Amino acid sequence: MNQFFLHHSQSKELHGFPHILEFAIRKNSTIQLNSLSLTTADCIRIYYIMEGKFEWIIQDRHNILYPGDVAVILPGQTFQGENDFLDIGTLFWIHIKVDSIESNMQMILGKWSGLSESESLTIGRILHLSQMPVLVRMKPILSIFQLIHTEIFQQQIGFTTRVNQLIDELLILIARQSTLQNNLQRDFPQAFIKLEQELRKNLAHQWTVEEMAALVGLGTTAFTERVKSYTGFSPLNYLINIRISEAIKLLRKDNVKVTAIALDTGFYSSQHFSTTFKKLTGYTPGEFRKRDSLKD
Amino acid sequence: MECIITIELGTNGVRLFAFDLKGNVLNSTKASYPTFHSEPDYSEQDPEQIFITMLYVLKNFIIESIYSKKYKVHSICFIASMHSLLAVDVHGAPLGNVITWADNRGKKEALGLKNSQMGKKLYEATGTPIHPMSPLLKILWLKKNDPDRFTQTYKFLTLKSYILQQLTGEYVIDYSLASATGLLNIHTMKWEGQALDYAGITVDRLPELCSVFTPGKLRKEYQTSLGLSASTRIMIGSSDGCMATLGAGVWGEDKATITIEDSGAVRVVGKQVLRDEKKRFFNYLLTENHYISGGPTNSGGVIFEWFANQFGEFKGPFDLEYTIESLIHEASNVVTGSEGLLFLPYLLGERAPLWNPNARGSYFGININHERKHFIRATIEGILYEIYSIGKMVEEHRSITSLSVNGSFAAIPFCSQLIADVFNKPVSTINKANSAGLGAFLLTATDMGIYRNLDEAAKSVAFYETFHPRHNDHKIYTQYYQLFERLSLKLEDEFEMIANLQQKR
Repeated sequence: MNQFFLHHSQSKELHGFPHILEFAIRKNSTIQLNSLSLTTADCIRIYYIMEGKFEWIIQDRHNILYPGDVAVILPGQTFQGENDFLDIGTLFWIHIKVDSIESNMQMILGKWSGLSESESLTIGRILHLSQMPVLVRMKPILSIFQLIHTEIFQQQIGFTTRVNQLIDELLILIARQSTLQNNLQRDFPQAFIKLEQELRKNLAHQWTVEEMAALVGLGTTAFTERVKSYTGFSPLNYLINIRISEAIKLLRKDNVKVTAIALDTGFYSSQHFSTTFKKLTGYTPGEFRKRDSLKD
Repeated sequence: MECIITIELGTNGVRLFAFDLKGNVLNSTKASYPTFHSEPDYSEQDPEQIFITMLYVLKNFIIESIYSKKYKVHSICFIASMHSLLAVDVHGAPLGNVITWADNRGKKEALGLKNSQMGKKLYEATGTPIHPMSPLLKILWLKKNDPDRFTQTYKFLTLKSYILQQLTGEYVIDYSLASATGLLNIHTMKWEGQALDYAGITVDRLPELCSVFTPGKLRKEYQTSLGLSASTRIMIGSSDGCMATLGAGVWGEDKATITIEDSGAVRVVGKQVLRDEKKRFFNYLLTENHYISGGPTNSGGVIFEWFANQFGEFKGPFDLEYTIESLIHEASNVVTGSEGLLFLPYLLGERAPLWNPNARGSYFGININHERKHFIRATIEGILYEIYSIGKMVEEHRSITSLSVNGSFAAIPFCSQLIADVFNKPVSTINKANSAGLGAFLLTATDMGIYRNLDEAAKSVAFYETFHPRHNDHKIYTQYYQLFERLSLKLEDEFEMIANLQQKR
């Protein structure tokens, strides 16, 4: 394919797509100093290597990319060439704007996307957690890029919808692949403990089974079955166990209010917390706190 | 009708069994909790998570399996992994996580004590090998490296003591589990003053010592929430190792038990301890009349699971059970001795008999004709040679004529047969998957007067299947074992060199 460069502020081809900031192929045949110095991404940048060998530093980590490899740089991540310049070779890229990034983890795409809010949040979470900016041997990405290219330049009926669908597909493919590269789907205990650490880091979040399953790279049915046979609990009951264990720790610190504990550990309300706590332990949170502080 | 519930607080999770008073299993259930490795040598668990998991499972178990069948719970007996340490403050609140037996942070402390005169004295007095697993060394580590936590500590508990304190309000520890802390004198059955001095603590920092038969009483709130009567006895019980030995029905000086789960051990029961100049054995107490002695290994089923995860063929995502089954099947198609391929299983360092945390794994003797299937079988044979090396060490002191095996790895029929062949002794398995649970039942039933004493209780264990040694295979294994032993000893320097290189990465 030939070189081209589309930029949202200059190219009329991108008029219908305010979320596509850049879309381009570049054949770089000479080295120019400072052609790729340190930047912080404010959108999702996806690069596909077509020819050559590229040495990049993404989020302080060195990566070497060969043809067929894909780099994904997320909003807020830093990016630069190993020696501040762009290596010789050919690459294909797209920059996609995201609507809001509340914290590092919360990625919400615009109205253009057919992904539900919870799907796009989960994809964002997976990409952030996988810490794998480079995915190897990703030929299917090239085909999606080529299809997007065809749609944008030929503008046949329905092209706007098709392009947006293709971008969704691109994100889904990248999320799935990064889960797969991250865990080989062999050692369940190992995959599960990674998930548990994520749950604990963000206990106040209203986790759904879909989100948890996606982080392990399974469908919800298979995930629920695995978790049950491994832990003895359904995923949501397992989560309640962690929530109550954390709550007990907080209850033992006298200065934390019960309502705050309830919300910090992911219960809807202090009422919901009290009922669950009492059902499991036999004590209300207040009684439990009194029991241990009365001693001595 | 009455029943007995046994609760085993294991390394990976909690396992519950309900027995009728004749020893029949009415039902069982299990649930898991994670181990956290926040740093390479650390191995910790969340005490609250374990407590809540245990409580949750117990409650469901009672509702679904006990009441629905119109049983009444007479006693609940506890079993726990050895060597755990949990510091709690004056309110009983945990200061940090439980430090498990697999935690190696006290490496330096262990090395410092091991070859000293004091080390010899403490080993002889307490029966616990000088190793980072020992709570003695964990406390010493805390004192040196986490002085705040050390000074804030009101009591140093084991996980089981903490769980019992939550349920009953009392700080207690049984002699049996206490004998694995490195702090109890196993001859006088009192806390050992020299060990306490060495760890820098006084006796009031420890829970109260009591016999394995000591009953406790549930707090009222748990009586209500679990639906148990005030008369339900909470038996303190013992350790997993001691209970698995009792439950394996091995109760004569000429018998030994082999347990292989993730890790493993070879154990014997006796009225005397095993004395060993090289300090290779543990000698733990079950009661004042019974010592459980032997050697532990890190290289059990966990090593084979590692192999399966790396080199097995997976039918579906995470389907380890299927993979292990097909690997065992492939291994059975290879001749005895894997055509000269030998495996040293020390992926996690090794305890008995090498007691070398730097030991590492190795395949030896690979030639161009070896295929994947040879590696599968060699891996299993290597794990069992290691078990045999502990057995040989025990046989320097006792003459063993028969074996009883249990644990998820050893109970695979292919492995049970291989153990019989390697040891050249008949190997029996028991009909119940879990001998620790059965041991706790026998303990409780003895306390209730169903058996006159533990000897009679142990003899009631019915064997399910016996594997007889095949003498030709034994001859082949003996030749390979000699080489296995030579390599394990010869590589000591190289183990250290490679461990150092690995540390630097």
